Amino acid sequence: MPPFVGDGIVQSQPKSDSNIVTIDVGGQLFQTTKQTLTTAGTKTFFSRISESVSTSPFHIPFVDRDPEIFSLLLSLLRTGNLPSKAKSFDLQDLIQESRFYGIEKLLIDSLSNPSQFEPFNLHRSLILPLNGRDSPSAIATTRYGSVHVAHGSKITSFDWSLRRKSTVLTQFTAVDSLLAISPSIAAAGANDFSGLQILDLENGIVKETLNWENVTRSGSTVQAIGSGPNHLFTSFESSRRNSNSIVVYDFETLKPVSEISHNEIFGADIGSAIPATKLEWVNGYNLLMACGSHSGPFGVNGYLRLWDIRSGNMVWDINEKIDCFADVSVSDSLSAIFKVGVNSGEVSYVDLRNLSEGNEWVCIGDKRKVVNGKKEGKGCKIEAQGNQVFCTKGGDVELWSEVIMGNSGLMEDKKRIFKKNLMGRVKDMGGDKINNLAFGGSRMFLTRKDQQCVEVWQGSSREL
Amino acid sequence: MEEESTSHMTAESHTTDRIKLNVGGKLFETTLSTIRSGGPDSLLFALSNRNSNDPNPVFIDRDPEIFSVLLSLLRTNHLPSTSHRFSKQELADEALYYGIDSHLRSATAPPPFSGIDASIVGSIRPAAEGLPSAFTAADNGSVWIAHGGQVSSYDWNFLHTGTFRTHLDDIDSICRVWPEIAAVGSLSDAGLHFYDFSGSRHVGSVQWNDPTDPRIFKARVNAITASDSSVFASFDCLHRENCILQVDKTRIQVVSQLGRQSGNQAKNIVPGKLTFVPATGVLVGSAVTGGAFGYSGYIRLWDPRSGEVVWETSEPGAGRSSRFGDSFAAIDVDVEGLALFKLCSKSGDLAMADMRNLRDDPWIYLKEKNPSLVMNGEEGSSMVVSCYKGQVFVGRGGGLEVWSRVQEEATNVERGSEGDGLFRRNFVDKREDSERGAIRKIEGGGDRLFVSREDVEGIEVWESSHSAGAISVL
Repeated sequence: MPPFVGDGIVQSQPKSDSNIVTIDVGGQLFQTTKQTLTTAGTKTFFSRISESVSTSPFHIPFVDRDPEIFSLLLSLLRTGNLPSKAKSFDLQDLIQESRFYGIEKLLIDSLSNPSQFEPFNLHRSLILPLNGRDSPSAIATTRYGSVHVAHGSKITSFDWSLRRKSTVLTQFTAVDSLLAISPSIAAAGANDFSGLQILDLENGIVKETLNWENVTRSGSTVQAIGSGPNHLFTSFESSRRNSNSIVVYDFETLKPVSEISHNEIFGADIGSAIPATKLEWVNGYNLLMACGSHSGPFGVNGYLRLWDIRSGNMVWDINEKIDCFADVSVSDSLSAIFKVGVNSGEVSYVDLRNLSEGNEWVCIGDKRKVVNGKKEGKGCKIEAQGNQVFCTKGGDVELWSEVIMGNSGLMEDKKRIFKKNLMGRVKDMGGDKINNLAFGGSRMFLTRKDQQCVEVWQGSSREL
Repeated sequence: MEEESTSHMTAESHTTDRIKLNVGGKLFETTLSTIRSGGPDSLLFALSNRNSNDPNPVFIDRDPEIFSVLLSLLRTNHLPSTSHRFSKQELADEALYYGIDSHLRSATAPPPFSGIDASIVGSIRPAAEGLPSAFTAADNGSVWIAHGGQVSSYDWNFLHTGTFRTHLDDIDSICRVWPEIAAVGSLSDAGLHFYDFSGSRHVGSVQWNDPTDPRIFKARVNAITASDSSVFASFDCLHRENCILQVDKTRIQVVSQLGRQSGNQAKNIVPGKLTFVPATGVLVGSAVTGGAFGYSGYIRLWDPRSGEVVWETSEPGAGRSSRFGDSFAAIDVDVEGLALFKLCSKSGDLAMADMRNLRDDPWIYLKEKNPSLVMNGEEGSSMVVSCYKGQVFVGRGGGLEVWSRVQEEATNVERGSEGDGLFRRNFVDKREDSERGAIRKIEGGGDRLFVSREDVEGIEVWESSHSAGAISVL
């Protein structure tokens, strides 16, 4: 119903039991139904309006706000989406007003929802500049597309709309691991700093420091942080580098729950001296993936383990001696673990559905490549998101997706088919080496070596 | 920032609290509380007092589009994005008309200045003879720039508000005495001179004279600072004898003379920098000379009421033996935090001294923990240091860096007694910024940082911003 500039007279007075609600916003009259107002949720501005209308039906509530933006937000309430004319408004104004009405959640849902992630339709669309001379060392995203960027001793947070930012100073010289607990709380750790810090990024204060009490009573540096629905995982190594462990914390209380994969190093057992440098929770299997690698004179070797955190038992493990991983990621929806080999730079996978002792990596990249000691995959990142796997190679991103063949007769060897594509248009290709890759909301974030900015790739359909 | 939604809700039940406005033919409806938030002196407040029984809207013969922007400002305390359609001047003029310019000012003011997240927002360039010889910033973000014997004033919006020409050929020091009156001094001409912006005229001068000593004449001003009631200026004569004169601000007359000295050595030359510390009522003066054998100078604290020296240090000569030959090249006073900061000439280190506890060797040398940032012999590049909002800004050649305090954990009280790890160094600028020229002066004011560079016209303005500043590359 189009709003009209009224002089207070409503042509058709609603009956007392009517569902129709009339609101006067900044001099313009709007009519809607109680059902529409209740979609905003309870205890919001709109629920109060709808209550006040129920008690005094002939009274038209007056709201002293801008009527034009209200009309957009009313459309959002009605349809769940902003009308296209919202494009002529600044998103920041819409966010401000939606906060006043208490429906920012709806706005976030309509604009930056993970379900709108379109892997085949990602464009390089925004550059978020960072002040100062430090290039990003770690990034962390939240579900609705806000991003925290650690650069030097600072952490800059961009909100879900990527319109506002704030920067705090930390005690680290550089943050090596960063995990977003909420849009304003992050866990941060470094290879050269003892303890995992829980940072309140809104106020720039350290809420808590979590330490691992190791046998040598030296400091405990953080090698990796991961999170599951109820737990926060941290891989610690003692400052003397002779013991390491993965501590499981409760996500809410941040109290330690258990400790797994505790290693004390005596003698020359190199294998146990490697702390886990990546932790990923596998939701569908209730397992924690932990992997670590070590580069020595005889090449890179490492391990990949799957842990049952309730029993503290290792469920499966694989040792990496030839073409060890440069990075690993687990895809829940594809039920597979993906790695990019440090020597070959090619992607391989292990099927999670039939894990057994002798499982081996199935290379889905160029198998003919001779592994000749060159570290072509060094620094490559791999990240599974939804039904796709994203792998960086130098300055480019490869998108791997599974091809499901309808005719099972063709698939007698039961090998899964994965195919890759290079992302981006020709002008977006190349560029400096990518050193961080993360996903949040409907966006992909990446940072490049020596570039003081974050690159944002997003689908175009709902962009404002 | 976050407005109370309840206040708007309560207004809805009382129809009499509402007011209709007809601005240039467009109808607006709002509440009395919104329109009165501009304060009792505003035009809008006066209009709201009209008889509320009058059914006709109040007619205002102004542009409705700008009014809708300003109405949004009153409702939300934020300037809507539609304000970008209008120039700063237009908005400021219109806000002044309605009497809500203070609202506009607080909505457009930058957030608290944070050196770790600041970017250059522009440069203020006087139209002619744009090389600034001196400048001074005020708490409201306005700035006075001395250039080529004239002084130009720029308001918080960076709009040029006036210029006056002085009788001096060069102005080397400038100080804000009253909101409209500047004190200026020159190294090429004698005396301290007071100029009024409102009439663009000279309102008074002060010279250093001594009836008993005929050698004291044509004394030039090296540094000026002001307290609530007085102006302090350091004078030196041609034969280098020098002193500080305390001048009454209202009568423009010399009240007293302090710290007179012969000027025949590095430790008694004229102070090149003066700072008055209101919290303790102490005047801090410092002098630095650089020669073939390195830097030397002194820092001295006077109590202007008694004229006595409260504390002093001179380098080389004092300080840790390990720091011998590493005397300071620049100093500044953190007036709010009551601390002295010095930059060592040789090592480039920054050191802090607590003004509440000045001893023989009060210096705490701030350590650089990040190995990639450790300086390695940047001798020869000019260095300036300036304190603003608890942060220390250092210009080394063209590079601008900030030392900011790290938030310590509340439970971690035993640390922080020493300065180690208290401050962290970061670059404010990008590498390409530093190539514009050596930094000559840094000064903060109104949550802005003003920077002037050697042989560069105009002064740079740095601000922090909550805006992400995302650049579209589609």
